[in-house]
Amino acid sequence: MLRNRRTEIITALVFIAPFLAIYLWLFIWPTAQMIELSFQKAPLIGTGKWVGFDNYIRMFKDATFRIAVKNTAYFVLLTVVPGTVVALAIALMVSRLRGRLQSLILAAFFLPYVLPVTVVYVIWDWMTNVQFGMVQGLITLIAGEPVNIWRTVDWFMPGVAVLTIWWTNGFSILLFLAGLRNIPAELYEAAQLDGATRRQMFFRITFPLLWPVTVLCLTIQLILQLKIFDQVYLFAQGGQTRATMVLVQYIYEQAFQKNAGGYSATIALALFVIVLVFSLLQFQVLRVRRPE
Amino acid sequence: MKLSLKAALLAAVMFGTGAQAMETVVWWDFLGGGDGVRMKKLIEDFNAEHKDAIEIQATTLDWGVPFYSKVQTSAAVGEGPDMMTYHASRIPLAVSESTLTEITADDMATMGLSADSFAPATWDAVQVDGKQYAVPFDTHPIVLYYNKDLLEKSGLIGADGLPAGLTGLDNFNAALAKLKADGNEWSIAQVTADGNFAFRTVYSLLCQQDGSIGKDGDWFPGDSTDKLATAIGVISDWVKQGYNPPKTDYPSTVALFTSGKVPFMINGVWEVPTMDDLNKQGKLFNWGAIEIPALFNHPCTYSDSHSFAIPNNVDKPATPEKHAAVLEVIKWMEAHSLFWATAGHIPANKAVTESAEYKAMQPQATYAPLTANGVFDPKSVLAGVASPLFDAAGNAITPAMNGELDPVAAATQMRDELNGM
Repeated sequence: MLRNRRTEIITALVFIAPFLAIYLWLFIWPTAQMIELSFQKAPLIGTGKWVGFDNYIRMFKDATFRIAVKNTAYFVLLTVVPGTVVALAIALMVSRLRGRLQSLILAAFFLPYVLPVTVVYVIWDWMTNVQFGMVQGLITLIAGEPVNIWRTVDWFMPGVAVLTIWWTNGFSILLFLAGLRNIPAELYEAAQLDGATRRQMFFRITFPLLWPVTVLCLTIQLILQLKIFDQVYLFAQGGQTRATMVLVQYIYEQAFQKNAGGYSATIALALFVIVLVFSLLQFQVLRVRRPE
Repeated sequence: MKLSLKAALLAAVMFGTGAQAMETVVWWDFLGGGDGVRMKKLIEDFNAEHKDAIEIQATTLDWGVPFYSKVQTSAAVGEGPDMMTYHASRIPLAVSESTLTEITADDMATMGLSADSFAPATWDAVQVDGKQYAVPFDTHPIVLYYNKDLLEKSGLIGADGLPAGLTGLDNFNAALAKLKADGNEWSIAQVTADGNFAFRTVYSLLCQQDGSIGKDGDWFPGDSTDKLATAIGVISDWVKQGYNPPKTDYPSTVALFTSGKVPFMINGVWEVPTMDDLNKQGKLFNWGAIEIPALFNHPCTYSDSHSFAIPNNVDKPATPEKHAAVLEVIKWMEAHSLFWATAGHIPANKAVTESAEYKAMQPQATYAPLTANGVFDPKSVLAGVASPLFDAAGNAITPAMNGELDPVAAATQMRDELNGM
């Protein structure tokens, strides 16, 4: 059959045109505008004045920006790997259960994921309330006295990390469970025949075969947690917001509270670059460990 | 068939134009608490009274920065409401963003209101550069709530039935010490987890010392920084002495007070309905609320004002009919603000607060005269509720109240943070 290459290209273009148009219009164009805005002293809405690299110079000198970068990195450290490890452990335990019981336990772990952040906030705020909170008994055991977690800078990020893992873990557990079900049972049977211990079976069979899922979980978590905002914003309200500032919160504060559209665009661009660089690094890890 | 369809369309169009004789007023507010319930009642009453003429379509949005962001962005594209509630303290920022429409002298005359209808400080709070941008509806200061039963036990109720012997810092602290010694777990509940909220008290105490908050680029000028430190020190001392619970948030202070664990509470007048409702259910002790006593030179209390403002909807100016309807709504609300007083707020319209009905309301009538001693936010784009000023207070005053930062260091930090903006 004779093929007309030109017609094929035109057909292809026609098919991808709707997507391309929307992508250019709703993603690329606003991104370009944001980059333009980052070189301006501009309000959130309305036209600005061209100021060259002033916003960038200001950003690198800005102590609050440095605090925000540090806190965001600290939060990523506290959640990404620990959260994935906890999810894997829970998935391994849940996968040993069968039938109704498994569904029930899985639902219990997945339930928090369904809640909106505001509900999560209210639940945890009262649970950890320094006067009336039920968790304070446990905290008193550790710290010797009741602690207002959300008003003590050293406790703040670990506190938010714990509740974030509790809140978002259900999704990773589901991914791991799906991964576990994809491992053929024959592999374990063969290993048992060869006299492998359970420890060996985990490190030689389960973990390597789960690796692609693990990388997926880590990548999703990394991108998600770099963009942390809601929990920190809600729990820090009224307190020492500067000491616990994270990047998206700083973008929000500059844009909506201080009406500094230009400077907030600069910080947003910095976050964009950070997310891009880390995702690419993670992609490299994925390639290195891909089975031959 | 076609003909009947045309007829139906025609009827629909005619019906549509007929209905347009009724003006709708799209209304946004941020009143989500007990006062929101009362505002809904006022709106229902208005709609019932103006049946077939004006209808308010009200939406309640999230208080604070989310509300003001939404107003700013929607007005900029002509999608804002026809009118909205606004904090007087946020007006300077709104004017700098061109979000508000000026209220003209003609508008005020149409509503039968003038500068004389309001307390001078309240009237001044809605003006920027000599132009008026809102109509004050109330003032809502902080007050001192007290548990009369516990105070009586400690001999702190005077012959007039009101708390006595609280004037001057030494006397006030002596009263707190007495209450503590008499077996109360705590003596006073001031929010200590949020420097942001506590700034209302700190600002009142600064004003009582004749300290100035200053202005953009020159915050807390001269010895006002020392006076700010003194004001912060008052609260940190209460915490240190064990009079005030440390790191306690807003809901906890209310819970501590209403459960009878704390005889005094400093909080906004908007908590009056909470007490009223509990009292009606027979679940509360004898209680009252008074103006914050003069701990320093003279009485002075921080106030803000809920006011009515008209957004500047870009490219979509209101029709004269719509504008008239909005003015009618404001006029009616101002005239019926007596009911609003049940929410604790002090009606801004003097005609209402001077009425016999208001004077019979308790504890409202007891604390209402404090409007003469009110101090509002400075006229700055950095000031107002949920503003950078309040955030700076959160950063500096939160650790200072709880003994983690020296009050002098906190005052300096707050001044420098604001001057650096």
